[in-house]
Amino acid sequence: MISVQNLKKSYQKIQVLNIENLEIPKGESFGLVGNNGAGKTTFFSLLLDLIQPSSGHIKNNEILVHESEDWKPFTSAFIDESFLIGYLTAEEYFYFIGELRGVSQADVDALLVEFEDFFHNEILGKKKYLRDLSKGNQKKVGIVAALIGAPDVVILDEPFANLDPTTQIRLKQIIKNLAKNNGVTVLVSSHDLMHVTEVCERIVVLDKGDVIKDIQTNDATLKELEAYFAN
Amino acid sequence: MICQFLSLEWKQFRRASYFQKGLAIKILLCLAVIYFGGLAVFVGVGMYFGLKKSFPDIDPIIMVNNYLIYWIVFELMLRYFMQQLPVMNIKPLMIIPVKRNAVIHFLLGKTMLSFFNFISFLLFLPFSIVLLLKGYPTLNVILWFLALISMTLSINFLNFLINKNHTAFYAIVGFLILNVALKYFGVFDSTATLGAVFNGFYNQPFYAVIPLVVLAGLYRANFYFIRRGFYLDAEISKKTKAVTTKDLSWMNRFGAIAPFLKNDVKLISRNARPKQVVLMSFLFLFYGLIFYTQESYKEMPAILAFASIFVTGGFLMSFGQLVPSWDSAYYKMLMSQNIPYRQYLESKWYLMVVVVILSFILSTPYLYFGWDIFAMIVAGALFNIGLNTFITLFGGALNRVPIALNVKAKAFSNTNGFNPTQLLIALPKILLPMLLFYVPYKLLGFNAGLITLGLSGVFGMLLKNVFLNKIEHVYQKGKYKTIAAFTEEK
Repeated sequence: MISVQNLKKSYQKIQVLNIENLEIPKGESFGLVGNNGAGKTTFFSLLLDLIQPSSGHIKNNEILVHESEDWKPFTSAFIDESFLIGYLTAEEYFYFIGELRGVSQADVDALLVEFEDFFHNEILGKKKYLRDLSKGNQKKVGIVAALIGAPDVVILDEPFANLDPTTQIRLKQIIKNLAKNNGVTVLVSSHDLMHVTEVCERIVVLDKGDVIKDIQTNDATLKELEAYFAN
Repeated sequence: MICQFLSLEWKQFRRASYFQKGLAIKILLCLAVIYFGGLAVFVGVGMYFGLKKSFPDIDPIIMVNNYLIYWIVFELMLRYFMQQLPVMNIKPLMIIPVKRNAVIHFLLGKTMLSFFNFISFLLFLPFSIVLLLKGYPTLNVILWFLALISMTLSINFLNFLINKNHTAFYAIVGFLILNVALKYFGVFDSTATLGAVFNGFYNQPFYAVIPLVVLAGLYRANFYFIRRGFYLDAEISKKTKAVTTKDLSWMNRFGAIAPFLKNDVKLISRNARPKQVVLMSFLFLFYGLIFYTQESYKEMPAILAFASIFVTGGFLMSFGQLVPSWDSAYYKMLMSQNIPYRQYLESKWYLMVVVVILSFILSTPYLYFGWDIFAMIVAGALFNIGLNTFITLFGGALNRVPIALNVKAKAFSNTNGFNPTQLLIALPKILLPMLLFYVPYKLLGFNAGLITLGLSGVFGMLLKNVFLNKIEHVYQKGKYKTIAAFTEEK
């Protein structure tokens, strides 16, 4: 689904990302881990054409991301709060995204029903602007909004951060189901090794922009990752 | 302690984003400050001689005192709309051992250095000096001046209290309108009564104590007001009111651009900054009054054409020039979403056109000044719709300043949307309509000028798609730069 070739990104001659070759097949749940400054957000930003690669390219379903916009209809993402529109209520925001992705209000409502547990009664019908919600609740809104319109590729940057334990557990279920039942390619980054190993079939470790490890998740993966990061 | 606060403030000031914007802006800002400061000094000095010349038999200081109330109310209004409430980042100070009172005193003291306080100062200090040089009694003049400054500072503090309370503000405005009306219809002249009060400050210098006492009282009121709110759950955290959502589904008839239009309506109605802009653009409706009422402009129709553009184009220019910036807070999301730039731009275009048409309808009372003037407004509106909208959108593409939506703009401390490119792009907006009118007017006559100006707008509307394509291309090209600029800092 996603194919990366010789992707490099530098700022003022300092290289922040350098991925020679990376193939992410359709329906894979893909985890990205690494310390601060490893290049996780840079990679996701390149994937969304928010920044330009210094060299190399990314193909999303055979579409060159930095040349065509045709990847947009089947790709969605939640990177940070700047993906939310602060002066809308949660419902209004969902409907707005729905309208952009060609999903009717009724269909958005139907989708939201599935996430009632996930929202834990703190999102819908609250008559609050998104800018007045807590960080965790903002995140819930952003994540669910990224699932509107049945995208084939979903990109979530640090989805577990700021969430309470209950929501984290529910989110893990949601991500697993996406990949398994719907064939969605899910890309997740996280600082929490336990969560990623639990959710992702494959984990890539970045360090200062380089791919250090590329692991198919198994029972030993968590130990391996912990050992790596301990040094 | 105070020294440390001062150093914090200094760092905040020096390291603020607008100071790191580049030399050109710094120079422009300095020039602006010098210009307005100089203007105030000039008016202050000129006031005495001007009044002496116009009203030779009335003492200038009495004349000034009689009309002082209007100045005070004007100042209050200006502050109400423009001046920010004092903010200092007190959250980090709450848990370290700093006396609460010290912080509050510092906060209030800081507001005294606001730009708005210097207007009065720069205006009345030269005036007072001229008075002294002209041999007015020294003590009286000095105490009168002190009384004035105390009043200015009182307004400063009054504003902070009123700002929390809209009814108080409208009561004051209502009171002012009532006074003007009473005077106009000759029922009761309040200026004389209030003038007597202000004259009292001059004639009986020790009355100057009164405003000083008022000032102290207001300071205390503010002090306790802030002190009460010095808790995380009180004033510092913003109050969130239950939101009422309006049904805007009737806008769906606009088709593909409807989601954006609906969003823009919410953007304007729910955020402080755009509201301020809308209010300012409403005031532009009255811009014509300045020009159409003056005999001297009758012979300069190019100037009148300029005014006519502003009557219907206030919103277009003030809102439109910040077009991508309004969406700066969530621009990344828009760019990764499934939307064509074209629809985004088109919805902004429609919004501007609708407001131009609304302003045009509201401007029909200008018929009072005759058909010539009204025809000019018609031509101006056509120009605004057909050409000015596109010029403005084009200018927006070059404007990459993020906007904090829910924060009011401050005078001279907020350079949002203020940069050299913006000034350059503003020139054609002003000069083009004047040229379009003036050249045919000189060659063929008044009607030819009108028709050219109006037709240029119609012509622009016909070329809408060409223009939008061109603008879309410019936006597309600047996409990465714009995203980077908008994410820099908020």
